[in-house]
Amino acid sequence: MRLEKCWFCSSTIYPGHGIQFVRNDAKIFRFCRSKCHKNFKMKRNPRKVKWTKAYRRLHGKDMTQDSTFEFERKRNRPERYDRNIAENTLKAIKKIDKVRVDREAKHHALRMKGKKAKEQREAAKELEQSIHMVKAPTALQQEPSFTLPKVKVQVSNPQENRLMEE
Amino acid sequence: MTAFFPSKCATVGRSLWGSLGNNSSGLLRASQEMITKLSCCNFYSQQRTFIQMRTNLKVVDNSGAKRVMCIQALKGKKGARLGDTIIASVKEAQPRGKVKKGEVVYGVVVRAAMQRGRCDGSEIKFDDNAVVLVNKQGEPIGTRVFGPVPHELRKKKHVKILTLAEHIA
Repeated sequence: MRLEKCWFCSSTIYPGHGIQFVRNDAKIFRFCRSKCHKNFKMKRNPRKVKWTKAYRRLHGKDMTQDSTFEFERKRNRPERYDRNIAENTLKAIKKIDKVRVDREAKHHALRMKGKKAKEQREAAKELEQSIHMVKAPTALQQEPSFTLPKVKVQVSNPQENRLMEE
Repeated sequence: MTAFFPSKCATVGRSLWGSLGNNSSGLLRASQEMITKLSCCNFYSQQRTFIQMRTNLKVVDNSGAKRVMCIQALKGKKGARLGDTIIASVKEAQPRGKVKKGEVVYGVVVRAAMQRGRCDGSEIKFDDNAVVLVNKQGEPIGTRVFGPVPHELRKKKHVKILTLAEHIA
């Protein structure tokens, strides 16, 4: 059993899924679902279709180079079955997945960073310009600051006492 | 083209409805989807079917024939699929070859545009319909086979064709 990659979207194809198309030059295209297959038949280039991994890697949205990808390379030599090796491999797969997911999250966070200053500027501008949507302009003129001072009030809970008595 | 399409729809639809009786309920929904796909009239989605009488096939060995027309599909009520044997008539042949035009020959389908299910649940399909000419015993007439062949042939005991093939899909 081998887990293949979809030619179009690069997701894993589990056994029992998808269609294999063999072209006459003996190139095999595997598709995970009919969505990818139909896009292929329409002759769309996966590097230009936004939701595919090829596009995301090309445009720097996802990680391209990482040591965790080395573990998933295709090996053509069949390994002799060894129970210990199999057990260790299964444990390693879990750990490698966790590491890879963490690194991808970091990459994403790095990509999304650097927006705080811009967001603050935008918020200040909006406050200045569109305050009339929230408060009437005449009201602002009458009282410069409309915010009341915060007062702490002790809330008595008679219901709770009754329950406790019961 | 619009006049031609309903008749094509009808023939394919009839074959589909025929298959509905044989198929299990799981495939029922898939067939219905195929029928609705036909009625949407996309010119992208081609409905690929069996190899039946009057189907033209390409010959991919060096037996001398170039094109062959199926006259009978042995085994299969609706037609032949990947890996089946057919009886065919040679329509076009090379001048000096082992077979001549007009001869009736047997052939093994090595590439079919209609997808065939594999035992692991996936499906495989090829770009065109191609055949390798064989004699009555199942031995290939030619000495070379061009293009990829599926390994469904191993189960059908066409091992000689597999050995001659340049690529096994």
